[in-house]
Amino acid sequence: MREQLDQLRNDAMQAIATASSVEQLQDIRIRLLGRKGELTALMKGLGSLSAEERPIVGQLVNAVRDEIESTLGAAIVSAHEKVISARLQSERIDISLPGRRPLKGTKHPVSLVIEEICSIFAGLGFSVAEGPEIEHDWYNFEALNFPPEHPARDMQDTFFVENNLLLRTHTSPVQIRTMLKQKPPVRIIAPGTVYRCDSDATHSPMFHQIEGLMVDTRVTFGDLKGILTEFTNQLFGLKTGVRLRPSYFPFTEPSAEVDIACVICGGKGCRVCKNSGWLEILGAGMVDPEVYRHVQYDAENISGFAFGMGIERIAMLKYGISDMRLLFENDVRFLRQF
Amino acid sequence: MIVTYNWLKEFIDFDATPEELADLLTMLGLEVESMAKLGAGMDDVVVALVEEKWQHPNADKLSVCKVNNGKEVLDVVCGAQNFKQGDTVVLAQIGAVLPGDFKIKKSKIRGEESCGMLCSEKELGLVDESAGIMVLPPAVAPIGTPVFSALGRKDTIFEIGLTPNRSDCLSAIGIARDIAAKLDLKLKHPQCTLVEGPDAVESVIGVTVENTDLCPRYAARYISGCTIAPSPGWLVKRLNDIGMRSINNVVDVTNLIMMELGQPLHAFDCDRLSENRIVVRTAKDGEQFTTLDNQQRILNSADLVICDAERPVALAGVMGGLNSEIESTTTSILLESAFFKPAAIRKTSKRLGLHTESSHRFERGIDIEGVGCALDRAASLIVELSGGVLAKGAIDVYPGKSDRAAIMFRPEKANELIGIDLERDVILDILTRLECRVSTSADGSVSVVPPHYRIDVEREIDLIEEIARLNGYDKITATMPIARVVSDRPTRHQEIEKRLRDLLVNSGMAEIINFSFTSPDNIGKLLLNNDDPRRTAIKLANPLVDEQSVMRTTLLPGLLETISRNMNFRSLDLKLFEMRRIYLPGEGENMPREPLCVVGAITGSRDGDGWSRPNEPVDFFDAKGIVETVLDVLDVGGLSWNTENPEPYYHPGKSCQVFAGREQIGSLGELHPLVQKNFGIEKPVFCFELNFDKLVKLSRSKKTITAPSRFPDSSRDIAMLIPEDLSAVKIVECVKAEKSKEIEHVQIFDVYRGKGVPEGYKSIAVRIRYRSFERTLAEEEISVLHKKIVANLTNKLQVTVR
Repeated sequence: MREQLDQLRNDAMQAIATASSVEQLQDIRIRLLGRKGELTALMKGLGSLSAEERPIVGQLVNAVRDEIESTLGAAIVSAHEKVISARLQSERIDISLPGRRPLKGTKHPVSLVIEEICSIFAGLGFSVAEGPEIEHDWYNFEALNFPPEHPARDMQDTFFVENNLLLRTHTSPVQIRTMLKQKPPVRIIAPGTVYRCDSDATHSPMFHQIEGLMVDTRVTFGDLKGILTEFTNQLFGLKTGVRLRPSYFPFTEPSAEVDIACVICGGKGCRVCKNSGWLEILGAGMVDPEVYRHVQYDAENISGFAFGMGIERIAMLKYGISDMRLLFENDVRFLRQF
Repeated sequence: MIVTYNWLKEFIDFDATPEELADLLTMLGLEVESMAKLGAGMDDVVVALVEEKWQHPNADKLSVCKVNNGKEVLDVVCGAQNFKQGDTVVLAQIGAVLPGDFKIKKSKIRGEESCGMLCSEKELGLVDESAGIMVLPPAVAPIGTPVFSALGRKDTIFEIGLTPNRSDCLSAIGIARDIAAKLDLKLKHPQCTLVEGPDAVESVIGVTVENTDLCPRYAARYISGCTIAPSPGWLVKRLNDIGMRSINNVVDVTNLIMMELGQPLHAFDCDRLSENRIVVRTAKDGEQFTTLDNQQRILNSADLVICDAERPVALAGVMGGLNSEIESTTTSILLESAFFKPAAIRKTSKRLGLHTESSHRFERGIDIEGVGCALDRAASLIVELSGGVLAKGAIDVYPGKSDRAAIMFRPEKANELIGIDLERDVILDILTRLECRVSTSADGSVSVVPPHYRIDVEREIDLIEEIARLNGYDKITATMPIARVVSDRPTRHQEIEKRLRDLLVNSGMAEIINFSFTSPDNIGKLLLNNDDPRRTAIKLANPLVDEQSVMRTTLLPGLLETISRNMNFRSLDLKLFEMRRIYLPGEGENMPREPLCVVGAITGSRDGDGWSRPNEPVDFFDAKGIVETVLDVLDVGGLSWNTENPEPYYHPGKSCQVFAGREQIGSLGELHPLVQKNFGIEKPVFCFELNFDKLVKLSRSKKTITAPSRFPDSSRDIAMLIPEDLSAVKIVECVKAEKSKEIEHVQIFDVYRGKGVPEGYKSIAVRIRYRSFERTLAEEEISVLHKKIVANLTNKLQVTVR
């Protein structure tokens, strides 16, 4: 029986060594170790041995089975590896071909800039307010201290519709609508579409503005400068801050034009900033007491500032667009770049 | 407003360079919009001497000269005839650049070499028109001197963009005043020496003001024995520098003084005034009058007119009349200096579309106290230049003269509002430098009387602004406000708007923005019924062009125009959306409504030209898929797709209206071929429209989530033949009608027409997935359920299961 066992072991080792595929190795396993296998048959023969011999031979059989199993196991793993590596060798693609992309959509640059500005001001505690584009003269002009026949109305060429209505020339009427609805503190930002009868390379009859308004008990002109410095630094990634110049708007006093260092040339002077090194991007000022009077706020006990800016101008600066008309031509070759 | 550096120097003695002055003015709120240096970059244009001159051998009208520029003698060809050998002329040398970016190069003219150009005054930019070349007085300067230096024409011209409140700076002296206040320098007022004749003015002319409300002050002087002549060089030059044309010595003086002091003046030919009288009154309705520009104007009772004893002779504050203008034969002059009510002048000027330097000033408001001073200054200058005799005294109708009210002013309030910390004395000194009368009473309270020319300064806040302005905005420190916390979050509208925009962008669409106004023709292109409310649009009273004359009632035309325009540029695969307001007339007295709408359109190939997928065109179901995804994400339930009442601009067989419950929330479809043609589009376009407000209303903000079953599923397919006009959704509904909890999912996975399917039928394959939440379903159980479903389909819908 010992000889039989040796013979079986040697045959098995040779068969494993010469096997060339996983399938052959599986067959060897069945032939030797299966239910009707050769080693299994030998095991069944153990019963005919004497009580002394049985444990010794039993041990031997177990040792041979363990050896065959482990060798076979290793051979199967290695055969698998060979198969996989051969498959990997044969499977190659040209990864330089373009990928199958889901089509990328794009937001209009005006929407992008509005979203960005609103999110900067959200961080400063300003919420978004809205108002109608077809507006009453009272909200668009009178309540903002543009009396009828006032020359300041010439600053804004107006489209009129019937019934004393007009297309709002700025987002400032939202200030009035907000203050009539709510008492201080007020902190709003109002993006929107506005209209002026003017059309050329730098003027569009329709464009967009964002208005800001903050009214509280002790707001100063210096605070206006602080908020706008923070805003422009975040928007343009600058550290340069703003320059305020005296100006005039009927609904603010003191009023200011707000310039930033030219984002194109960094303040050295170029065509975009007309060699001044500065870019005008905002109008601003402290809310005029006359405006408070129209909304029944007590000008003696509160103060506040308002500001407004043109979205198209900021979009043009941010993206280096030279002609405003591109923004409303909706050419997909332009739009798909955003 | 245009001023020059040299002119300002006549009023104040400052050291600033032109660049520094420009910066100072801008920071005072007098924004320098442009700055032009006379003679800048023109150093190669020099004084030169014509040493020889002869006829050009090959051209009758040209001559050739030897010209000495101080260093060398050059050959120059010239076309002008108005000079001779020995004349001092202006030579633009090779390399010089004349106004208009005209570069002087060496050239050959009809075979003769020319090393430069002899210039006219026009070519130098000195005047608008000139005949022949400029011939200088002999020995004006050594030859070779740059001509602008030689002529004393080195100056800087500032164009200042004034805000409408600063009417006081519509004059050189006004601007000089602000500079003097800022730099704390003394202002030199222009000299005015009146030499009057013996005759009293009242004995020659008379003035009656009938409407003192519109004309609170009217002053006049009389000058006789004048000689109308061209103005002297200095006056012509000054007017040219500030962009005005010289007319004659009298009119030029009125213009100069207007620019110098800000007071518009008018000179009448007194011999042409009936009875030497002036009557200031409002016009009669329909009264006709011919202004200086030879235009007949029809007036109304709101217009103020200056009349003689019989008829209007000037449109007050706007323009003089042809019937009384100064002519070369004029000898006696009535000179007017007045104050007219701003709103009245503005009304007349606007209505007549007649905007003049005079009306510009009157409508912004001039200094009523400066009326007399300007009259005297102009009168003395006219006498000086025209040799006339000034009558003694002036007529001055000024019944309502009153002092300006004092303003109570709190210096600490200025500090508080501006956010600065100036000493009280410094603040009051700023006001004093601005020529305010400042008085402090015993209790320390301050009252301030602003100077009469600052009509914009009326309230404490106006004084505070002046403090901030003169002290300098650059001196204000940027601070962060101390504010109360306010609770807020975006409204539901705002949140859904942002989500929807993101969603459409993530569906691969590009957002477009069209003008809110459109052409009235566009609506017709949509084939809408005559009674369709979208035909009623809000009209602009003053559109720029007809294509932008009505407010849109639908976003569709703008989108279709965009598609057409893009296709013209061969962008054929388009996925576009627009999310903007439309404008609907309000009912009765109500404001118009401006609901937000959403439209999208797709056309062209589905995946673009790729290497790995077939190039298939998009169809109805791509558009529907986008709408389905939107409604799924916004969780709008109870959807149905209704084919009744299709929109007229859609293909009736390939469109539907979208309902959520009973609310119509949108529509989609293939564009009608005629509409496609109307917009010049060559390929099929699939559009959808959604009503944003209804989406917001119907979007469920709370979702209920079910935990998935842990038991295995089993799927069965049914293939069937159904009539063409039976919609697939009916099959799915019929399957689901067997209200079994075990039906997890029903999906149409194939629709087939063609071989093996009879005409008028389509083959549809449905896959039903069964699964229980409680146990593993037994084969027999599923078979029983499935058989029931097949039976339902066969019995209720008469389909043939294959």
